[in-house]
Amino acid sequence: MAEQHIARAFDRDLEAIQALVMKMGGMVETAILDAAQALETRNDELAEQVRKNDKAIDALEMKINEEAARLIALRAPTASDLRMVLSVMKIASSLERVGDYAKNMAKRTQALAQLGQVGIIAGAGASLRRMAKAVTELLSDALDAYAGRHLDLAQDVRVRDRDIDQMYNALFREFLTHMMEDPRNITACMHLHFIAKNTERMGDHATAIAEQVVYLITGELPEDPRPKAENVADLTKAAGA
Amino acid sequence: MNDMRLTERNVASDTAKMRARKVQVYYGDNHALKDVDVDILDKTVTAFIGPSGCGKSTFLRCLNRMNDTIAGCRVEGEITLEAENIYDRRVDPVQLRAKVGMVFQKPNPFPKSIYDNVAYGPRIHGLTRSKAELDERVEQSLRRAALWNEVKDRLLSPGTGLSGGQQQRLCIARAVATEPEVLLMDEPCSALDPIATAQVEELIDELRENFSVVIVTHSMQQAARVSQKTAFFHLGHLVEYGDTGQIFTNPRDPRTESYITGRIG
Repeated sequence: MAEQHIARAFDRDLEAIQALVMKMGGMVETAILDAAQALETRNDELAEQVRKNDKAIDALEMKINEEAARLIALRAPTASDLRMVLSVMKIASSLERVGDYAKNMAKRTQALAQLGQVGIIAGAGASLRRMAKAVTELLSDALDAYAGRHLDLAQDVRVRDRDIDQMYNALFREFLTHMMEDPRNITACMHLHFIAKNTERMGDHATAIAEQVVYLITGELPEDPRPKAENVADLTKAAGA
Repeated sequence: MNDMRLTERNVASDTAKMRARKVQVYYGDNHALKDVDVDILDKTVTAFIGPSGCGKSTFLRCLNRMNDTIAGCRVEGEITLEAENIYDRRVDPVQLRAKVGMVFQKPNPFPKSIYDNVAYGPRIHGLTRSKAELDERVEQSLRRAALWNEVKDRLLSPGTGLSGGQQQRLCIARAVATEPEVLLMDEPCSALDPIATAQVEELIDELRENFSVVIVTHSMQQAARVSQKTAFFHLGHLVEYGDTGQIFTNPRDPRTESYITGRIG
């Protein structure tokens, strides 16, 4: 909202919290991209760094929650101000989850490095990195929609999550094939599958953030079911597993 | 949208106690209130909010014809109480004010005893037939105003000797003693400390069982706490009227939004 509060300190408080969310978003995006790069290039050091950096993301979420609680207590926000504070808390919680998934990807990258099944990992690593990149873009757009209060962009993010789902479906099928071909692939494929699944979940969190943007702008959560394409339950049936 | 909310006590009634249609108020040439349409629901607390000079007190004063006492004030349009036009010639404003009671910003007890303050209304309107009945009415009114336990042993001491919060509750007891149908409150807590304010707010919520309450307040938090319906006035217009929960979480009109979030005064 362009209009300023009469109490300008209120505006400064709101802006400060929003800046923390954007900072957290930036850290999470970096974590995803770094984890994906570490996976593809088998960079153990980078993976370790992602794991370490997650603490800072968690600390930021706590800081955002504390600031939000303080703002509620001191300023008694109403209407769009209230919705902003509520959405900030939810967005921070989504970002924290995404950060955990990135950390988990780094952890599994280190575990995969011990296995040494280079062929499968290199092939899937490239696909997973593409998927991570797409998720990062989705997340970045969701946060841009939030910062700029862009309703259209938020709706667009909700629709685009379907692409992530489809990438996941394809990878799921690929891993299933590898595992059926050779049971020695199972350990690596299980790790890779969890990475893919977690990345797909990151997309869902980006969607959740976009939904908070819709709530923030309109006062209501979107009612129409968002388009989904994650259908591995059906795939499993088809594969007879 | 209108399902029961956990955090919001439900409106007990959908029937309109008072109805205002196309109400205009002029102070001389000044058009103070423009085209106000609103329904005051039975057994509901309705809050009027808005910046100073927006017309909310003016409108409140229309509801029991207090504006009649102001020279140069002209009211047009229709205001009905139970389908009867209160500006009809046959309506006696004194009788009307017994049915539509009022509590003011500053506690203004009569310089009389606590008992006489409360008994005053029933006496002049001849509402009770015996001393015993009057005693009962006074006790009941003081109980309703949550003041009985504090004053039952000193009913004959002057009302002006009570604390500010007690005086205000005495004024509420005086207003409810005539068994009004609607109780108008013009910033009833602005001269009270937070504890007395909380007591009066609790009282307002209890009064809702029997009366329809209309409260004008400058404290938006108070409006949010005590009312089920909120009306926002701005520059003589009724900008928005709706459920209090909706007004404070998702107002429809940008002017309401600006006011309640503290962006326009």
